Parts: sequence; structure tokens; C-alpha cells
Amino acid sequence: MLETLSLMGNGFVSALYPVNILAMIAGVTIGIVIGCLPGLSAAMGVALLLPMTFSMEASTGMIMLGAIYCGAIFGGSISAILIHTPGTPASAATAIEGYQMTLKGQAGKALGTACIASFFGGLLSCISLYFFAPVLGKLAMKFGSPEYFWLSIFGLTIIAGVSSKSMVKGLMSGALGLLLSTIGMDPMQGVKRFMFGQSSLYEGINVTCALIGLFSMSQALILAEAKIKQRARATQFNDRMLLTKDELKNIAPTIGRSWIIGNLIGILPGAGASIACFMGYNTARQFSKHKELFGHGSYEGVAGSEAANNAVTGGSLIPMLTLGIPGESVTAVLMGGLIIQGLTPGPNLFVGETAKMTYTFFAGFVLIQFFMLGIGLLGCRGFANIARLSDAILIPSVTILCVVGSFAIHQNFVDVVIMLIFGVIGWLARKFGLNNAAIVLALILGPIGEKGLRRSLLLSGGDPRILFSTPVCWVLIALCVLGILSPVLMDKMAGKKIEEDE
Amino acid sequence: MKMKKTDIGVCLAMYAVCAFFLYMTLQLPKAAQIYPLCVIALLAGLTTLHVFNMIRAAISYGVESGLDDFKNFVPSQFFVLFAMILIYLAVMPYAGFYIASILFMGASLIFLRVKLWQIVLSEIVIIALVYCAFTLFLEVRLPAGIFFE
Repeated sequence: MLETLSLMGNGFVSALYPVNILAMIAGVTIGIVIGCLPGLSAAMGVALLLPMTFSMEASTGMIMLGAIYCGAIFGGSISAILIHTPGTPASAATAIEGYQMTLKGQAGKALGTACIASFFGGLLSCISLYFFAPVLGKLAMKFGSPEYFWLSIFGLTIIAGVSSKSMVKGLMSGALGLLLSTIGMDPMQGVKRFMFGQSSLYEGINVTCALIGLFSMSQALILAEAKIKQRARATQFNDRMLLTKDELKNIAPTIGRSWIIGNLIGILPGAGASIACFMGYNTARQFSKHKELFGHGSYEGVAGSEAANNAVTGGSLIPMLTLGIPGESVTAVLMGGLIIQGLTPGPNLFVGETAKMTYTFFAGFVLIQFFMLGIGLLGCRGFANIARLSDAILIPSVTILCVVGSFAIHQNFVDVVIMLIFGVIGWLARKFGLNNAAIVLALILGPIGEKGLRRSLLLSGGDPRILFSTPVCWVLIALCVLGILSPVLMDKMAGKKIEEDE
Repeated sequence: MKMKKTDIGVCLAMYAVCAFFLYMTLQLPKAAQIYPLCVIALLAGLTTLHVFNMIRAAISYGVESGLDDFKNFVPSQFFVLFAMILIYLAVMPYAGFYIASILFMGASLIFLRVKLWQIVLSEIVIIALVYCAFTLFLEVRLPAGIFFE
């Protein structure tokens, strides 16, 4: 206990180093810019800027990526409120009430509410990060090869959860990712597999290249296919952004409820901020004393949606950091950031010297929320104008950043080609209903599962009963079943929401 | 939900990937074949399951084109831009990163009819960003081009 408290304290001291503060300011600003540009997502932004963290200390790099993540989730609300176009899917529910407030001349108040709700949602989500992550990490320390095999299977069943339209297509995407993860050296036999004579594929497909291709390059191709349209001019606003004491009192219970909703959804693999914002908004409406204002510009609605989507951020980091299981696309990209730094996501992050890095990142994640509040409140007017930036300029800019980012990994042109191939795969996947997040999850988890399975069988002399030998194995098998059933439960919840809306 | 015609192409592509990897797997030593064969079987099995789902959907609800996601697709714009990206990557080893990027960005922005002052400003911002972040900060040696080495 004392050791944990000391790690927490030291984490805050380290997080307050000037370089980390700079990383927070830069990350939050870049994140908000990416978030408020319709068409660019948080995952895409984090993937695009991943190579920038190569030369940084692991904690500083992770703080910067975390800041981009939080900034992008909040940034989406700016264009949602001012031009009725959510910058990211996580702000879709914010657009409903936020834009109505803008039409009533209350754009400043809507943005202020979004800022404050995002701040509290994100800040409160850190509580669960501090409490649950180390406990889960300690539990995962007891895992052996069979448990790691089931853990990766559990991660892969999440694929079914992240598949929004067809579960089978999601699983097909995962299987494709698994197949691609076999490229490289066989971990047990030392045989070259599917390397096409390229020595740079010795360690398999570089996950960072794949991430940049699947999330960023594919987005540039998506933007390139549609006719370039001029975006609506953001509404100028002069009303007060800060809320009064009474207004803050009114939204406090809404923020509390949305925090719990967002946090739980964040921890649950497969669900993300886009689901949380609607659930937060819906709950805010159910409990509101002014239900008649909903649909006509209710700041409680904005608070409900924004607190929920930002509360997802801390929760979603828990399974990734403790078990090495990314539950959604942004955490998969953040996991790529850890791998680049030579760290293995999982229980080892909470032991020895690495624990210092982890707790510095946690403390940084708390401080990021304060910077998000400050930069959000001070810079909303400026960010609103950025939301108008044309897709015509974004297409070549994103392409150049993808090229330079993938080249920077090993200063090797083959990585650029791999990035482009994954960009095309990502574009085709999105056009034909396959799932990029599933491909990435399988690319990351495939080698873990393969090693776990083959080592277990080697230890048992080929007896598969070793895979069912411990209670933890059975818990993980139960979680796998739950993972497969989760989309059905999600569908039922969504159906219930539609019924309520009607 | 109706069966999408485009899903036929998706299934064919998946079977082609399976066949390609199967052919290459069979070239590996026996002990190294087992795991890739399991994954290939998984992908082929899931694809076959999807084929059954498609047939069931076609019988129950009918067939649709599945081209809804392409309704805003402008082929002339997309393929010209994609060709520009390929040329950009092909030219880079010869002309170097910076010259190739300036040419690519300029050409694509002119093609997309962006105003001249916006082209100049965008080029300056992106090149300055890359130079500061990658050349100065990360010390990445970007391709200088064979003409300039």
C-alpha cells in the first residue's frame, strides 16, 4: 500500500517535469485540432503522431499520446456544437442539443458546458484507472502460457464486439489479421514464414506501419473519394462560456451518472465513446427536471454526452495496460505506442522500474484533464475556425505525414510501402463492411496467442488438457463466451434506446 | 437484412487470400505448417459461414447491390489522387523527400482547385512541420534523393 502511494506521489512529481508539461500542452492542442476536424478520428490522430514519440522517454511519449486521445474526444464537440457536424463519432449526441443551443445564441454556454463536463468526466475516469489497474495487473502476474493463450482468445472475441454491422465479417477481419500476423520468423521453429525475401519482415509486420496505414492513410483515401465540399462557416458567438453556480449544481448529478456509464463502457471491451455519448445523453434526459428542453437546446444533454464520452478514456486504458488487451481502436494504437518504446503491455508495467513510468503516465493523464479544460475554454474560438479547413488540404497533408511517419520507424522505404498496402486494405475494409480495428487487434494479439499455445503444448508434451488446467483458464474461457455474446447484448441495449426514443 | 452483391467479391477475395497462404504454407517444413494451417482453416471456415448467411439472406429478404457506400464516390478524382500518391512514392528515392513532397502537395492541391495562397501556405506549414519534427527533433534522415546525395 505504502509502495503504491509512493509510486503515485513520484508519478506526479515526474509528470510535472517541463518536458511532460510541454507534451501535455502540445498533445491536447493537436488532439483538439484533430477532433474538431470532421472526418478525422482520435485513432487516426494518435496513429499519425505515433512516430513523433520514438525519441521521447516512454512516459513522455505515452503522456503525449494520451493527451491527443483526450483532446480529440473533447475536440469533436466543438464542430458538433458550432456547425452541427460531429468532429468524431463520440460527439454525435452532443450535436443534438449543442447545435440547438447555438441556434438560440447560446453557443458559448454549450461549449463551456462541453469543456466542464469533459473535464470532470475525464478526471473522474482516472479514479478507476488508479484503483482497478494495479489490482488487475497483480492478478495477471499469476498468468502462465495457457492463461496467455486464453487471454489472447478473449481479446480476439472482442473483435465480435467491435464489429458494428456483421459479427461474422468482424471475425473474418480478425482471422485475416491473424493470418497477416504469421508473416515473419516462426517463434518456435525459427523458420522464415511468408517474408517474400524481405529481411525487414523478420520480426513480422511492423504494427506501427499497419496502424498508420489502416487508420490514417485509409482516412486520406476516404476523403479523396468524395467531392470536395466547402464546410459551413462556424457560428460566431459572444455569450459567456463559464457556467453560473446554479448551472454547475444542476449538471453535477448528470456528470456523476455519465461518469459511471462512460467508465463502465470504457472498461468493457468492444464498446467505446460513440456508444457512451448516447447512453450518457439518454440517461441525462431520463433524470432531468426539464425534459421539455431536450431537443430544443438543453445544456444538461450536452453535459451528459460529453462527460460520458470523456469518462471512457480512463476506463478503456485499464484492460490494455493490465492485460495487454486493447478493447477498441484508440487503445490498440496506444498499445502500439507502448510497444514502440520496447514495453510489453500487461502486468509487467506494474513492477520495478516500469511501474514508475506507468504511474507517471497515470499522473500525466490526470493533469491532461486540467490542460484540456484550460486550452478548451481559452481556445474554443480559434479551434472553431480550424473546423472549416477543407478536405482538399487535408488529403495531401495527411498522406505526407503518413509517409514520413512510417519511414521514420526504421528509416526504411519498405515500411512506407507496407503502410500504403495497409492503407489500401483499410480503405477496402471500410468500403466493404470489414473491420480495421479487428485486423489491428488480431495483428497485435496473434503472436501472443501463438506463443502461448505452442509453449503450453511444448510444456505438456502435446497434451491439450494443459489449456484447461487452472481456474484462471476457466474464468478466461467464460470471458471469451461473454465476449462473443456482448454484441447481442449491445444490440438489445441499442434496440431498447430506439424504442425509448420513439 | 438483404444480401449484398458486393459481399460476393469480399468472399472471393478471402478465399483467394486463403489459397495464396495455403500454397506458401505447404512450402514450409511440416512442423512450421500447423499453426498457419489452423488460421487458414479459421478464415476459410468463417468465409464459408458468411456465404451461408448470404444465401439465407438472399432467400429470405432478396438481393441488393451493396454499393451504397460508393454513392458519393468520384472515380476521376479518386484514381487521379491515388496515381499521384504512387508517383510521389516512386519519385521520392530519386528526387528526395522534400522535393517530392512539395511537388506532390502542389500538384494535388492544384488538381483539387485550391486557391494559390492556400497552396503556398499549406506547403510552407507542412514542410516546416516535417522539418522541425522529424529532421530537427527526431533526427530522421529522410531520403535526400540520388541526384542530391
